[in-house]
Amino acid sequence: MRETQSLRDAFFARGFVTDCPVYDMHGHMGPWPGSSLPRCAPEDMAYSMERAGVAIIVFCHHAALMSPDIGNRANIDAVRRFPNYFRAYCAVNGNYPDVIARDLKAYDRYPDVFVGFKFLADYHRVALTDARVRKVWEFANERKLLVLMHTWGGSAYNGPGQVAEIAAKYPQVTLLMGHSCHGEWDKAAELAKKFSNVYLELTAVLDDRGVLEMFVRKAGSEKILFGTDSPWFNHHHHIGAVLGAEMTDDDRRNIFHRNARRLLAPFLPRDWEKRKRCREACVSG
Amino acid sequence: MNLRFFDANVSIGRPMNKAMYEPLADVKALLAHMKKTGVGKALVWHVAQHDGSPCEGNSMLANAIRGQRSLYGCWALLPPNVDDVITPDFFRRMQKSRIVALRVFPDMHRYLLNRVVFGRFLDEVTARRIPLLLSMEFAVTWPAVYALLKDYPSLTCIIADLGAWSVDRYTYPLLETYPGVHIESSFLACTDGGVERMVEKFGAGRIVFGTAMPRRYTESAMLQLVHAEISDTDKALIASGNLERLVAGVELS
Repeated sequence: MRETQSLRDAFFARGFVTDCPVYDMHGHMGPWPGSSLPRCAPEDMAYSMERAGVAIIVFCHHAALMSPDIGNRANIDAVRRFPNYFRAYCAVNGNYPDVIARDLKAYDRYPDVFVGFKFLADYHRVALTDARVRKVWEFANERKLLVLMHTWGGSAYNGPGQVAEIAAKYPQVTLLMGHSCHGEWDKAAELAKKFSNVYLELTAVLDDRGVLEMFVRKAGSEKILFGTDSPWFNHHHHIGAVLGAEMTDDDRRNIFHRNARRLLAPFLPRDWEKRKRCREACVSG
Repeated sequence: MNLRFFDANVSIGRPMNKAMYEPLADVKALLAHMKKTGVGKALVWHVAQHDGSPCEGNSMLANAIRGQRSLYGCWALLPPNVDDVITPDFFRRMQKSRIVALRVFPDMHRYLLNRVVFGRFLDEVTARRIPLLLSMEFAVTWPAVYALLKDYPSLTCIIADLGAWSVDRYTYPLLETYPGVHIESSFLACTDGGVERMVEKFGAGRIVFGTAMPRRYTESAMLQLVHAEISDTDKALIASGNLERLVAGVELS
């Protein structure tokens, strides 16, 4: 990127910006019962990533979240097939303590796969604070892991109240509020400001214009992470929203890569972005 | 390539309830935004048509866009023979006011969207090739869209604001069955591969560019289209060509 060129102009010109990689901290993979997703296979997702300069998607496979009989094997297989593109959150479904116990026991066998856990409490109807998932929180707290939670305004399972309780109880866990307590935007911003271990995440936030500007104003761009629910949402669509929001390019860089790079540092090889540049060279060559 | 954008889905005016987004309070604000983002033309409606009275909202919109060569308007309908929106000189007034499309808000305004309610009026709208915008964000339901098109299969319509999560299972059967159905892109662009797959199956002629400004960011649908994996010709059709064609085809005289 030329020094004088804004990120907006650079993304419109090429589709990606070499010195502004995008870290997508909220992804999925595979088919979903309620919708038809054109690009949900890992190879299709990887191709989409190249076109938008996405350095990594940290994801949790739909099958791992929705089908206990498949479980986290879907995550492990995908990351091991595409180790330069993906890392995974280990799915937690509180309805199946036996599966949780098995996954925790096996967790350390996959340092190349997992960065932490993913909760989908609204869907599983097991609150973040439920006793059935306590061991997961203790495990994550001991190891200082990342946890991506589906969060939604008004929810009794993963609303702002549950997030606050978990944030206070497990300060060593880095909590990513997936969808930023959708609808209860002010409370989400307050949580991110109050707790050093709580981050806002932008999946399904960016189709509501104005929310992101408020997050930057109230919580600061240092507490915001980019995410797309990929393969649901198109990266350029969400990148475009960040480019259209009123903020500085410095704020945008925090959101696109600086914050996530810092959080993922313990889990990724040091040469991660160098690998990405090699990928870009291969694609454009 | 430099695309020319004609936005099919823009609103002006302040909503009844304060929203997170900053509204485009008037045409001056809209034109400034279009200049900033590189949108050349827009098909506009006024929030008062939905939140307040379609009669007054239609009039406010006509006054707001008067003399603005880059703007066209959408009027909101109410059932014939109940209120004063559909008057004998309705189409002549549309022509005089640069109104080239229509919108309906059936749930908000408490009517059904079918032949029993609209009778021959929508036959005339069909014959005049006036696009009817159906916003899924403003209380039009999928069963209502299906019922409407069953009654008026040749209607030109633009289904807008599809919803953030892919609804191809609703839209594809309509595109397959009714040649007048078009899809507005503000949310279609949100689905990864959504635009590309629709172009592959139905051709680029069925998609019109839209942003839903000020509720959504203009740059979202723009950046997606600029870098979509379709031909430059198809991009130009979606960005402005298709809506130009629809507007040119409207017969109001």
